[in-house]
Amino acid sequence: MRNQYISNPEEARDFIGRYRPFYIFVAITVFIFALRLIWLQIINGQELRQFSEKNRVKQNKIAAPRGLIIDRDGKALVENLPGFEAIVAPQYIEDIKTLSDAVAPLIGIEPAKLYERIQKSKKINGPFTNIRLKDNLSREEVFRLKRIRLDFPGLEIRESIIRYYPLQENGAQLFGYVGEISKKELEKYNKANTQNGPLFEQGDIIGKSGLEEHLEQKIRGVDGVSFIQVDAHGRQTVTEIPNIYGEQIKDIEPIHGHSASLTIDKDIQLAAYKSFTDLKRIGSLVAMKSNGEILAWVNSPSFDPNIFTTEVPTKILSKLTTDPFKPFRNKVIQDHFWPGSTFKPLVALAALQEKVITDKTIISAPGKLWFGNRYFHDHNKNGAGNITVYEAVEKSSNVFFYKMGIALGVDKMYNYISLLGLGSRTGIEMAREAAGRLPNSTWKKSLRGEDWQPGENLTMAIGQGYVTTTPLQMAVAYNTIATEGKVVKPFVVKKVVDHEGKTLFERFPSEVRDVTLPQPNGFKIDRANFKIVKESMRRVANGSSGTARHWKIPGVEMAGKTGTAQVMSFSADQIYQSCDARPVHMRHHGWYIAWAPWDKPEITVAVLAQHACHGNTGAAPIVRDIMQAYFQKYHPDLIKDALKKGPIKPTTSAAPAAGDD
Amino acid sequence: MSIKGMNVSERNLLNRLDIRLICLIFTLNIIGLINLYSATHGPHSKDVETLFVQQIIWLIAGWTIFFVLTFLDYLWINRVVWLMYIINVGALVYTDFFGRIVLGGQRWIDLHFFRYQPSETMKMCLILVLSRILVHKNPEGPGMGFRELLFPLTLVLVPFALTMKQPDLGTAMMLMFIGGTLLFFVKIRRSIIIALTILGMIAIPIVWKYALKDYQRHRVYTFISPDSDPQGKGYNSIQSKIAVGSGQFFGKGFRQGTQSQLEFLPERHTDFIFSVLSEEWGFVGSMIVISTFVFLFLVCFEIASRSRDKFGALVVIGVSGYLFWHMFVNIGMVMGLLPIVGVPLPLLSYGGSGMLTTMAGMGLISSVAYRRYLF
Repeated sequence: MRNQYISNPEEARDFIGRYRPFYIFVAITVFIFALRLIWLQIINGQELRQFSEKNRVKQNKIAAPRGLIIDRDGKALVENLPGFEAIVAPQYIEDIKTLSDAVAPLIGIEPAKLYERIQKSKKINGPFTNIRLKDNLSREEVFRLKRIRLDFPGLEIRESIIRYYPLQENGAQLFGYVGEISKKELEKYNKANTQNGPLFEQGDIIGKSGLEEHLEQKIRGVDGVSFIQVDAHGRQTVTEIPNIYGEQIKDIEPIHGHSASLTIDKDIQLAAYKSFTDLKRIGSLVAMKSNGEILAWVNSPSFDPNIFTTEVPTKILSKLTTDPFKPFRNKVIQDHFWPGSTFKPLVALAALQEKVITDKTIISAPGKLWFGNRYFHDHNKNGAGNITVYEAVEKSSNVFFYKMGIALGVDKMYNYISLLGLGSRTGIEMAREAAGRLPNSTWKKSLRGEDWQPGENLTMAIGQGYVTTTPLQMAVAYNTIATEGKVVKPFVVKKVVDHEGKTLFERFPSEVRDVTLPQPNGFKIDRANFKIVKESMRRVANGSSGTARHWKIPGVEMAGKTGTAQVMSFSADQIYQSCDARPVHMRHHGWYIAWAPWDKPEITVAVLAQHACHGNTGAAPIVRDIMQAYFQKYHPDLIKDALKKGPIKPTTSAAPAAGDD
Repeated sequence: MSIKGMNVSERNLLNRLDIRLICLIFTLNIIGLINLYSATHGPHSKDVETLFVQQIIWLIAGWTIFFVLTFLDYLWINRVVWLMYIINVGALVYTDFFGRIVLGGQRWIDLHFFRYQPSETMKMCLILVLSRILVHKNPEGPGMGFRELLFPLTLVLVPFALTMKQPDLGTAMMLMFIGGTLLFFVKIRRSIIIALTILGMIAIPIVWKYALKDYQRHRVYTFISPDSDPQGKGYNSIQSKIAVGSGQFFGKGFRQGTQSQLEFLPERHTDFIFSVLSEEWGFVGSMIVISTFVFLFLVCFEIASRSRDKFGALVVIGVSGYLFWHMFVNIGMVMGLLPIVGVPLPLLSYGGSGMLTTMAGMGLISSVAYRRYLF
């Protein structure tokens, strides 16, 4: 393997002289290292050893206060309160048994259980990891624990921040609640964190639902770090031994989370909840300003999010999770129902635009209609007579609309009504919004493999069959009628402000589309037709045969539509059977969706009273109460004039008119 | 151990293998394992526990490479030296643009089953390529002048620049030092040395202002005055000094080092493994390790002087330089004599790339020893 590159051993000897500097350099290095080691370990060893054992700097996390959630007037809807938690550091505990025996009764835990918990954590996480015994301590507990602290090194009472929901059950699904982050969520959030933001850790409190979840990154804040020097027993020291740092290390202050300013109006939210629960209703409602700002948001039954700030007793939790009416669900957007008769005005719009009828056309609307191979019934045995579209909506005639359904067909209905937003999500800033369903023949063919049956046009026209909507979608759709064509985007979060008051994000009302202009699918609805339908809906609330006329507010004219959505399909005689006689889960749902003032709309309210049998008695009183609260706050002059004439009579249980909806 | 029962070739084999080398390396490995166990089995070390087993695997792989290289004639490597250098430079370029960043600015290429760090193997390729070139130099003369230095320096500066870009200050420095060692060994004209020193002194402020990144400057600041940033880089340095000093004479004992067990020392299993050692084994332990390294260097120097050819000698010196400078900077930084740069302690720190590269280097030395001139 010899070639020109390789020399022979003789030449290799040439290097002999070069080794000397290397030996010298190595010797010097060792000498310097030895000196340094002597300096550190022998001369300063004692001091450094003392320092390492007696004075250790511990890094403690300072939890950042979470941002507040406030209403449009600046009133608090979700806030923070100071609290206390009890913590043990196992490494400093002298005897776990005596500690457990002494501490457990003071905080209402069994000593044996406490002992087990400490042992378990010590084994799994090591003796140096702190254990939270109990948080949200009462003042009594804090007092008692502080008294015995001196006897039990390792026991600490620390300040913590408790999330507080002053409205309790009211709006719980909207605001959400907070809890400790789970392992799965930990992985998910940290994986998604691509911008090097602070990572989540075990023990962090995060939003678990509603706005707390949706706004998590913004209202979270950044935790700070406190550097404290502790002695061998884990207690904070003031050092006598010279500090190797030379000076006190400064804590890193936590950064307060940003606050969210909502469009919600606390007064209206309170009035809405009171009205809904006084009447013991189940269901949901949403109140929205005509520009899309949401004023109130209620689901019932509900739960108190404050229970989650400490460990929830399993009894309460299981009661909530097994409640058949689902208190955790955000029904305003999560659940979709048949709209029932509330669908009729939308069909009327389509019929007018397609020129199937004009506002003057008179149609015969008896008590039943033969189509295909059977009768389709009206809710009123006698029907409504020969009527125009105005009376058809006012009295909520089924047969009239069966005929509209036949004339239009499902696809035409789809083309017009989808413009108002039904069948698609509104895009509101919360998770799990349902899109509802607005069928057409292609949908049915592709999803179910069947052709659309002509008879289904009839059921669709009265808001049954495949059509489903959420209360929010109905509010937006009716608001479109009220504003004569403007589909707005509903939203709840108006502003996000940092702790110094600087606005980081602001949302303004926006219009999704103007339906009076030609739309991408080639269809539109003329203003004139909106006006006709508006007038017909004014009569629902004010006319002599209007289904909602018993729930007026003197001084302001509402317009809207009641609806009864059948829960199951019934035979002819079953329909006429009294709803109240049936078991609760078989009763119809009652809708009422209305806006006011009818000609210059400011507020639209959609109420769904599940299993309340009728839209008028079930839902209309609540709408009336909410409207009243709104006008009393924003236009008291309008109502005052009316109040002068006499007090407003609350009529919650007027007998339904013959024109049951 | 009786050698009577063996035949001639086996006896020859045993005679030729440099046992001292093997024993010294093995001793350092064992010490490393002991400390690694302590560093990875503390209460807060849940995520690093498996590293201990991984290190054993790396060691086995390393020793395999060692013996393979021992029995291979190192002149074979001579043929592929240029290819290796060029490929490695290419890999460096690739990682500069496509690699994933890990701590300290080092970049890896993710090969799914193994993460390859080109800057590690670059050191070895540099040694080999320089050895090949410098074979012709005659150290008896006045030494290399400017013209002669140009080409070898370029070979050093190219990977140096690429590594600085990563930005991996530690490895870049190592490349410089190792290259410099080899060049010095072959003798550089005194005038050049003086000129370079002056140039270096002028260059420092320029480099300081323009070439170093903010945090690198910060590192030097905190080196000079760790109290100025006790929570940042200064924290590491201070904690390390406490760890080393608190070991005193005999140390605190196995797994009893509070600085390491309580997580006051970060990077305990890599850069700061010596701190763990010092805290737990004290002055005695620290000096034993340093002495072992010194014996290792002495053995290597002796192997170089007995080399069959110049190439072998140069390779041995190069690898010794690699070993020495890593040890020098790592222990220096752990003791607070040098600023903190990310340089591991060879044979003791945890690390696949590093361990394999080091053992490969050792294998080359062993190969030179195996073929040494006996007379």
